Amino acid sequence: MIRLQQLNLGDLNVGPLKRPYVALMMDVIGRGLEAASQVDETIQREVRKLPDGFMFDMRALPDGPCFVMQKDGDSTLSYIGSTAPRKPDVSLKFKHLNHAFLVLSFQEGTARAFANDRLLVDGEIAYAMKLVRCLNRMESLILPKVVAVRALKRYPQLSLKEKLADGGRIYTRLVKNLVWG
Amino acid sequence: MTKAYYEFFCPVKIVAGNAALEHIPYELRTLAASRPMIITDKGVRGAGLVDHVLGAFAESGMDVVEIFDDVPPDSSTTVVKTIAKLYRDSGCDSIIAVGGGSVIDTSKGVNILVSEDGEDLSEFSGVGVLTKPLRPFFVVPTTAGTGSEVTLVAVISDPEKGVKLPFTSYFLLPNAAILDPRMTLTLPAHITAMTAMDALTHAVEAFTCMGKNPISDAYAVSAIKKISENLMTVLNTPDDVDARLELAQASTMAGVAFSNSMVGLVHSLGHSLGALCHLPHGLCMNLFLPYVLEYNLAERGDIIGELLLPLAGADVYASTPASERGRAAINTIREMRDELYRRCKLPRSLSETGKVTKDQIQKIAEMALDDGSIIFNPVEVDLADAIAVLEKAW
Ligand SMILES: [Fe+2]
Repeated sequence: MIRLQQLNLGDLNVGPLKRPYVALMMDVIGRGLEAASQVDETIQREVRKLPDGFMFDMRALPDGPCFVMQKDGDSTLSYIGSTAPRKPDVSLKFKHLNHAFLVLSFQEGTARAFANDRLLVDGEIAYAMKLVRCLNRMESLILPKVVAVRALKRYPQLSLKEKLADGGRIYTRLVKNLVWG
Repeated sequence: MTKAYYEFFCPVKIVAGNAALEHIPYELRTLAASRPMIITDKGVRGAGLVDHVLGAFAESGMDVVEIFDDVPPDSSTTVVKTIAKLYRDSGCDSIIAVGGGSVIDTSKGVNILVSEDGEDLSEFSGVGVLTKPLRPFFVVPTTAGTGSEVTLVAVISDPEKGVKLPFTSYFLLPNAAILDPRMTLTLPAHITAMTAMDALTHAVEAFTCMGKNPISDAYAVSAIKKISENLMTVLNTPDDVDARLELAQASTMAGVAFSNSMVGLVHSLGHSLGALCHLPHGLCMNLFLPYVLEYNLAERGDIIGELLLPLAGADVYASTPASERGRAAINTIREMRDELYRRCKLPRSLSETGKVTKDQIQKIAEMALDDGSIIFNPVEVDLADAIAVLEKAW
């Protein structure tokens, strides 16, 4: 009986901590992307090619968690939060919370999630490709290499400055953003 | 591959072989349809191919109610709207697309409008917007290449907004694909070659890229075998009915494979080159295939090596050491391309096209990075990598 209840609640395959973990990681990634876009030129180059006011989100179907970002200024992204004020231009949707968990715990890369039919793009594919490159870049900058190599098809050649100085600046901004909101 | 997962879906009935066209009336009846409209283009009609389809309706107790034969090479929402009006005015209840990629995509668009009773096609653009089955829809391919008869996507340009609208839905899959050798019998040599190389690329990329799965693999390998065994036969004896049918089947099988496993860098580069320099899709595939395989070789050597068997046959496969099979598979494809160049001047490099300038390489590479297929390439591709492959293909 308890097992049946657990099954219905999805506890057996999702676990009680996965939703808060995914929500937390989406918050961290949103803020991390914001910080990285203020520091890293590679990300700025991609963002510059997005239309003004471009908005995107990444969410787990059917009802979240979610993070929403918007292009502000010429080359930076700002973190909007967990609800979108309008329909985003591009939406990256995980079919299930568990799939979001796999990617956000860096067990499965974004490309693998697409190839495994777990992650859907709603909106212009060309923009989604730019976003995927931004996400990959941010991961390579802030994650320890041993973690990043699992999530990325290829770990980029980073100069020591990029990994330590820029990665460090992203961290500082990220922590500030997390603490002071 | 750890924690593997895949999905495979193909509900399209395949009606293939001699006198396959004559099965259409029966197949329509099983779907409670009796007033079909044919959608085609001037070239197909002019070649007398629509007559084969019309002939199949003789003695069937059913007639083709309407024919639209003016689909342009790049289908647009305007054409779709015109055809939808014709369909409604004539009281049709089903669609038979007779043609290649553009005719098939246009017909998918028409089916959306007439089934959803809509006027504005852009309302239905996107992923999963359609939520119920559409009208009975058959496809009779007249080229052996695109595989559109088994894909769930359509791309239709919106000339007013200046954008290309993508449509993705299981409901866009035709109810049946009719493969009749009569429909490809008169296809000229260079189009036969280009479209076959498109089909070969679909199969090779489905097999070697990140979306590969055991069921798609089976379709891909069989498609590659059929193409390598029959393409030259068809070019030698264009009216060889059996070999033509083999190519048509290979194209459909490759279509089933790639619509489930997706494609990779050959298509990313090919889509950009095609759009920028107005070159046919199959030609672009022929051009990039070996260079992209070389780019992926270090990562996917074993998998590419498996393709030596369907490409070159059992004897060559058995006598080639395992470690050299990947390279040998690529060389077999190069030899195929050389042969096609000798026979019908199908370009093997960007310079041989005579339509590309060196200063376009940067732009082609940039566009390729934004193509959705690039994410499925097994090796990461950045701008410098894409440029390097393009320079090799120069
Ligand atoms: Fe193709």
